This record gives sequence, structure tokens and C-alpha cells, in this order.
Amino acid sequence: MKKDNYLKDIAESKKPFIIYKSNKGFDLFTDFSKKIILSNKNIKNFINNSIKKKIKNKETDLYIGFFGYEILNNLIGVKINKQKGLKFPKGIFYKPETKKKLSNKLNYKSSENLKSKSTFNVNLNKASYKNIFNKFKKKIKSGETYQIKICTKYRKNSKIDALDFFCRLTKSNMAPEAFMINDKDYSIISCSPENLITKTKNIISTKPIAGTLKKSKKLNKSKALSFFKKNIKETKEHNMIVDMERSDLSKICEVGSVRIIKKKIVEEYKDLYHYVSLIAGKLKKNTSSLEIIKAMMPGGSVIGCPKISTLNLLNKQEKENRNIYTGSFGYLKFNGDMRFNIIIRSILNYQNQSEISVASGVVIDSNASHEFNENYIKAKALIDLYK
Amino acid sequence: MIYIIDHKDSFTHNVVHQFSRFDKVECDNFNDINETKLKKSNVLVFSPGPGAPKDYPLTSRIYKKYKGKKKIIGICLGFQQILYCEKGKIIEQNKIYHGFQSKIKTTNKSLLFKKDQKFTVGRYHSLKLKEPFIAKNFEITMRCAISNVAMAIENNNEKIYGFQFHPESFLTENGNLLIKKILSA
Repeated sequence: MKKDNYLKDIAESKKPFIIYKSNKGFDLFTDFSKKIILSNKNIKNFINNSIKKKIKNKETDLYIGFFGYEILNNLIGVKINKQKGLKFPKGIFYKPETKKKLSNKLNYKSSENLKSKSTFNVNLNKASYKNIFNKFKKKIKSGETYQIKICTKYRKNSKIDALDFFCRLTKSNMAPEAFMINDKDYSIISCSPENLITKTKNIISTKPIAGTLKKSKKLNKSKALSFFKKNIKETKEHNMIVDMERSDLSKICEVGSVRIIKKKIVEEYKDLYHYVSLIAGKLKKNTSSLEIIKAMMPGGSVIGCPKISTLNLLNKQEKENRNIYTGSFGYLKFNGDMRFNIIIRSILNYQNQSEISVASGVVIDSNASHEFNENYIKAKALIDLYK
Repeated sequence: MIYIIDHKDSFTHNVVHQFSRFDKVECDNFNDINETKLKKSNVLVFSPGPGAPKDYPLTSRIYKKYKGKKKIIGICLGFQQILYCEKGKIIEQNKIYHGFQSKIKTTNKSLLFKKDQKFTVGRYHSLKLKEPFIAKNFEITMRCAISNVAMAIENNNEKIYGFQFHPESFLTENGNLLIKKILSA
């Protein structure tokens, strides 16, 4: 069967499926034999029991799905008061029975026309954004946080064809951690660029991004690097994330094994340059999957620093549930290996409502208008899919 | 054994790994201190952390109880915690350093480090020590090369040491050597 046809078939079959970026193309997972909806009660058992003793090493020996933001907070003992917003599950994982390899060229066009005339509403206007911004700046001055990310949400009522959206998104923005989930009652589409955990046997790595630059004709990779190096604000934000991720890894890694493999390099994507580092370590013997997840999630680069006090500040401020945003998507293999990203640049479509969340960082020298606009630019690539 | 008191910081485990190069290390949250470990330890380390020393009365109590009895080392907030317990004033500074790499220099008051040495360190602090600061047996032994803000203290009589910068940061040159010297002092 031709790969292109496969996408059409899977869409027509109405079966739930997941697509996740692989090294050379994409992997498609389907024929789910189990669906686990996570709660604070079952999450620990689920993670601990994801390692199976008797394994045949099939490619489908894994659970694939996501942890939402709230459940990851609760997992590390950070409480969130009741919030408004969609009542979406806190996390869902699936056991696939079929895995197909797809190429980088995903071709599928929706047969329906779902375009609607409604527009996106944003939950924070510039004035209230500035208000929160100034409040957090004071918290930076008093030392309660060193860096904090304010989240804004864009929302509208609409039905979408998730596969059609995802195919178009991968054409405009091929991201190394892109994924989509299409289930009966919801869909998620994301062009996440950021890997939070790659664990193979006893080696674990994380690849934080702090610093993004839009491509232009005047720019090339080395010019982008010198831009980041000269930009004190970007450099400081990045340094902070590198030290924080080193510390998170140090919780679960052998003494002296945590190393910065790639220090502050520029990676080139279709429309963007990212300022990234790669940090890795050797896991302590008998580290459980639960310990790994608690040490690393929620991913620090999209929260701020230090993690716990910054999460508390955010949770006091934010009146709406983040749902999937800044949670993690990926898989837990039965042999204990895992791969997880950070869910950003994503659309959640649930009960015919679409939700796009974006965030940008407040450090002492950031500017409210600039960051507010930055949030809009980040959302725009996704909003444009509705046109 | 070295007992590290964690103020729920996101850099503490870098500190744990750094000290683990030299001795066995235990680490607990400041509000979850294990009395047996506390008594058994011969070195106490106060970790970095958010907020100000006044937010951590439990750590201040530990400092006062063990001052002169165990070696005590403070890093960033931990450094300020020691100064605060010694009646120093910890204040907001105009220029804030988070993730900032800067040059500092040793003063002629240090017994452990050669004077007028300049080196690069990583800094993460909103607050600083208000000077003049005078406390018995305490000397300011490192300062910011530009602003002159206090960057390290030594009390070699009672074996109390502290750094405003982060020796465990990847931004700090020779951080391990600094800790080695303090531990063998």
C-alpha cells in the first residue's frame, strides 16, 4: 500500500491514531488495545507498571500519550486551585498494536470544508498582560523567581480535521518533536521543537531551547549565533535553563556524569533559528521511571526558575486550566526506555472548541509590549491554519 | 558527612553533585530536616533558593545552633542567610543578576585564596549585602570586580564560609577547586 493512501485510509476508518516525528520521517501508531485516562490516583501505578518483565521487543511494546500540566504539578506536590476552562482529561495513554513508518512528506487533504467565520478570542488583553508582567517583575526583584513565563490563550469554536491541519503544519514548520493525536472526542496538533527526555538504557538526555529567532534574508546560522551571544537577555535566560536542567538531571544521575554535550549552539529549522543546549547523564542504578518523570517534569524551560516557587506563582495567577500546554507527550517503552517532549505550539480541539496557548518569558530586562507581541507571533502560525 | 539543606531551588542538585566529589552527601528540604542526619553531619551547606533569608527561620535556627560546632557553608541565598543571622542587612539591588557571568576578585582579607586574583563566576541573585557589614571573625574575601558587591565571606575561626555566586554553575571557572579548598580548610 502506498504511504500517501494510508493517511487517507486511516482518516476514513475513523480509528483513533497518533503520529509522532521520528528521525527520518514520522511514525504512525494505531489499533489501540488499551486507553488509560490518568488521574492523581492511578498515575503512579501506571508509570511504575509501564515496565514489563516479559517483553518480545515488538515495536509496539509501549504506551504513547500525554501528561497534562496539572497532573505533573500534582505529581511533584504542587497544588493548583480550581480553575476555569475545558474539563479535559489530565492525561491519556494508549497501547498501540500497529506502527507504520511514514516519510517526511505527509499528504492529505480534508474532503470536508470546515471553515468557520468565527475569530479567536484571547484571554488576556495587553493591559491585563502588562499588569501581570509588572507583578512578576516585582517578584523577580524580591528574588522569589528569576524567570517566569506568562501564558496567554487563544480560543474559538470550531470543528477541525486534525490530520489536514497537521499535514499543513509539517509543511510550514517541520519540528523535531511534532505530533498529533486524533481520537473520537478530541484532537491535538503540535509542532513542538523541544525534547525533554530521551532515555535509552541508562543514558538520559534533555535538549532545552531558550532563544528563538525568525529567519530572514540577512541572517545565516553564524550570524544567528553571534546575535544570541551578543544578546544579554537571551544569554542569561539560556544560562539559567542550562543550570536548571543540569540540576534536574543530577537528581537521578550518577555523581559527575552530568555533562553539557552541546553548549549553546544554533539549530536551523525551516523558518526559525533556535538557541539550544544538549545535556546528558548516566542514570543511577535502579532509578524508576516515576523518579525520572518527577525529576524532569514539568519541563523547566517553559515554566521559569526556580521551578517550585515559580509554579506556585503561576498557579496563583492563572485562572484558566493550561490543560495539555507545557505538559509532555511521548512514550514509555516496556523495556524502560522513554522519549518525551514539551507540549508547546499546540492546538487542543475538544468539544468543538479550539485552544492555542502560548507563553513568553519575563526576566528582569524584558519588555511587556515586546513579550505580548511575541506571544501573538508564536500563536499566529497555528491560527493561520484555520484560514 | 555533608548535609545540604535545600531551599527548594532548581540548582541544589548541582551543589549536591559538586560536594559529592569530596565526601558523602545527604540532602533534604529545609522544612523536612532529619535530626539524625543533622547531628551526624560534620559540614552543613545552605543551598541557594528563592526569596530572602527572612523567609527561612528554620534555617536560621539551625545556623545559630551549630555555629562554631560544625563547618557551615552558604551558597547564594545560603550565603545571605549566614549574613542575615550575623545581623547583616540583605537588600534589593538596582541591577539584577540572573544567569549572569561576571568577573570577581579576591580581597587581601582571604586566608584561603591568593589576593587580587580575578576569575569568572555565574551569578543568580536579586538581593545583596548592605555594607558596611561588621561581624566578629567575618571577613569579606571576594568582591564583584565592577560593582564591588560582596561575593564571598570567610570566618576561619568558626569555619563558616559562603559565596554569593554559584560555584556549581557551568558559568563558574574552577568551581570544584573553590569547594575543595573550603572543605579542606
